[in-house]
Amino acid sequence: MTRTQMTRPDVVERPRTPHRRTPEGPRAAGRRRETLAGYLFLTPWCVGVLLLTLGPMLVSLYLAFTDYNLFDTPRWIGLRNFRDMFADDRWWHSVRVTLEYVLVGTPLKLAAALGVALLLVRPRRGQGFYRSAFYAPSLIGASVSIGIVWRSVFQDDAVVDRAMRFVGWDAGGWVGDPDWSLPTLVTLTVWQFGAPMVIFLAGLKQVPRELYEAAEVDGAGVWRRFRSITLPMISPVLFFNLLLELIHSFQVFTSAVVLGGSGGGAGGPADSLLVYTWYLYEQGFRNLRMGYASAMAWMLMLGIGLLTAVLFRTQRGWVHYEEGTDAR
Amino acid sequence: MSVRRSVRGPRGLRAAGAAVAALALLAAGCGGGDPDGGTVTIRYSWWGAQDRAELIRKTIALFEKDHPHIKVKTDFAEYADFWSKFNTQAAGGNAPDVFQNSVAFLRKYGEKNLLLDLNAQVEAGNLGMDDFRAGLDKAGEVDGRLLGVPVGGNTFALVYNPEAFERVGVTPAAGWTWDEFDAAVHKISAAEGDLYGASDNGGVMYLYDLYLRQNGKAFFTADKKLGFTEADLRQWWGAHYADNKAGDLVPAKKSEQIKPKSSVSGDLSAAEFTWDNFIVRYAAETDTELALAPVPTTDGTRTGQYISSLMLSGSARTQHPEEVAEFIDFMVHDPEVGKTMGYNRGVLPTNAQFDAYEPTGVDAQIAAYEKSVTGVIEPITPHPAGADVAEAAFLRIYAEVALGKTSVDDAVTQFFSEAKTALGS
Repeated sequence: MTRTQMTRPDVVERPRTPHRRTPEGPRAAGRRRETLAGYLFLTPWCVGVLLLTLGPMLVSLYLAFTDYNLFDTPRWIGLRNFRDMFADDRWWHSVRVTLEYVLVGTPLKLAAALGVALLLVRPRRGQGFYRSAFYAPSLIGASVSIGIVWRSVFQDDAVVDRAMRFVGWDAGGWVGDPDWSLPTLVTLTVWQFGAPMVIFLAGLKQVPRELYEAAEVDGAGVWRRFRSITLPMISPVLFFNLLLELIHSFQVFTSAVVLGGSGGGAGGPADSLLVYTWYLYEQGFRNLRMGYASAMAWMLMLGIGLLTAVLFRTQRGWVHYEEGTDAR
Repeated sequence: MSVRRSVRGPRGLRAAGAAVAALALLAAGCGGGDPDGGTVTIRYSWWGAQDRAELIRKTIALFEKDHPHIKVKTDFAEYADFWSKFNTQAAGGNAPDVFQNSVAFLRKYGEKNLLLDLNAQVEAGNLGMDDFRAGLDKAGEVDGRLLGVPVGGNTFALVYNPEAFERVGVTPAAGWTWDEFDAAVHKISAAEGDLYGASDNGGVMYLYDLYLRQNGKAFFTADKKLGFTEADLRQWWGAHYADNKAGDLVPAKKSEQIKPKSSVSGDLSAAEFTWDNFIVRYAAETDTELALAPVPTTDGTRTGQYISSLMLSGSARTQHPEEVAEFIDFMVHDPEVGKTMGYNRGVLPTNAQFDAYEPTGVDAQIAAYEKSVTGVIEPITPHPAGADVAEAAFLRIYAEVALGKTSVDDAVTQFFSEAKTALGS
């Protein structure tokens, strides 16, 4: 209903030029009213973006250059927050932990997603069921409850610990072990490979069957077909997934906090789960250093932006867009 | 055509206008209305576990029955989350009207003018500060302002396993020394079995505070700085780390892995220093019998102990200071409230409540312990702003030492640097 109303003027007034000289004509007035109506309908969204996203972002940009404890007026201190950051051992540590999480977790997750997608792409019985089953974890993945489940699975004397003892490895709880807590977090993200898997599935279905048939006639094996046909053909999808997952993983928060919070203060044993966003939160809301936290947030944004730019640069080398389609 | 459009246009406009109006109405609805029919609603939040929440809800029911014109909206969270949430709410000018607080935060939030000075309400007769047990009536006063009213008193103690100590022939008693404690711990650890003599409490700020006080110092000075040197801390952490490596104290990895239980309630250790009301929780977590003992001394007499307390504070921005005062007054004086809460937040603050409640089980142990240390209690110094951050850093950084992730020297440097930032000195 709304859409027809809004598009109709254009359709009716296809021969626009004659009317240009009389902008105050009744039709133009009607159009302006409709434009206004359109903007009015957009208001809730605009208000949301302005008040909840853009406004806070600008304020936090300002706060990044101030000393602000949430209660007193922010005091301008120039670049000191950024200088403090580079001198802060815990900040470097949080960068290390986050990078480790991203650089180990993302490739594993994408590999798992692609692997399972390859298994599920061929039509077979119960396909729908398997797809849903593999997709399910990513629906609930970011929730607190699944973090709690994960923690109780990997805790002292819990399922994993007992199973490991059964095979003769008494490591105790993984969550409480500074060397094993991060791998536990990584397994949690890898387990949620459902979302990229669905995208891979869509990509795989686009690959023309003739290519495989021709390759088979030429005697290409499974691996060769994967390397020379599948990978290049789905490279745009792979690129998309890689980008999305990287950006997403840098912002890991909930699962790390729930896993690391078994002792009250999150961060895990010996700060082994001190992911960037948690350290930011701790500085801002617990230590009341909101200026420092804002500076950290912008640093993270810069980092992710830089990485994205680099990835876009590299795509010419390995991402192949089919000519003639509007994939670009 | 143009006629139809000119009709439709305004209708579209009107619909959009209606949508905006509806949104505005919705937003207004979220803001909460006026008190209707003379009923006032106050918001009350606290930190603690589910068991505390159940007891507090019962006491609120008692209050609402007694004060039908006041409704109490509640909210609670675990300790650390509570403060994050409180900070956020307070920064937005939306702190709860009345909330749980402790001595450690009076300065911090008092200096930010977030806490209601209750003296005016005392003068107006809405809040009685009489009948408090010794050491508690002045506990909430900072620089002449009354910023909190105690709902319970806690004293630091050793929660220990009496059977294990008996086996090595040691009975903890008032005036015992660190040497005696260390010897007992060593013997228990060396004996057969998996039990360690004590948890590694090297990172517990309050314990180090007591040790420093026994030696004429304190963790924080009156001028809001650290009251000890890097050399002092190197010695304290170094000694704990050495005992830990020697196998006398619970290895850090094990105590991390047993969380959320503590080492003593997880049957890993025979002794642990903590606040005396923690024995309530610990006793519920283990079948092993636990008891309370006084803190060891350096010179055979001075323990450095003081009463800390959980409090109720009002928000400086509350619209209902009178109702807040009435609420606090009821919570600290009403005997039924005392009977309901027991020692969940520490030993009951007023004589009326203390006498109304007949402690049994672990509560009886706490009562006996508190009575036994009354003679050695010293006045408490209110913590400076940022003390909570320093406390968390102290615990975290020592845990890294114990886990072998950093050296004692580096850890001490790190702590002094973080404490300096936190205390703003």
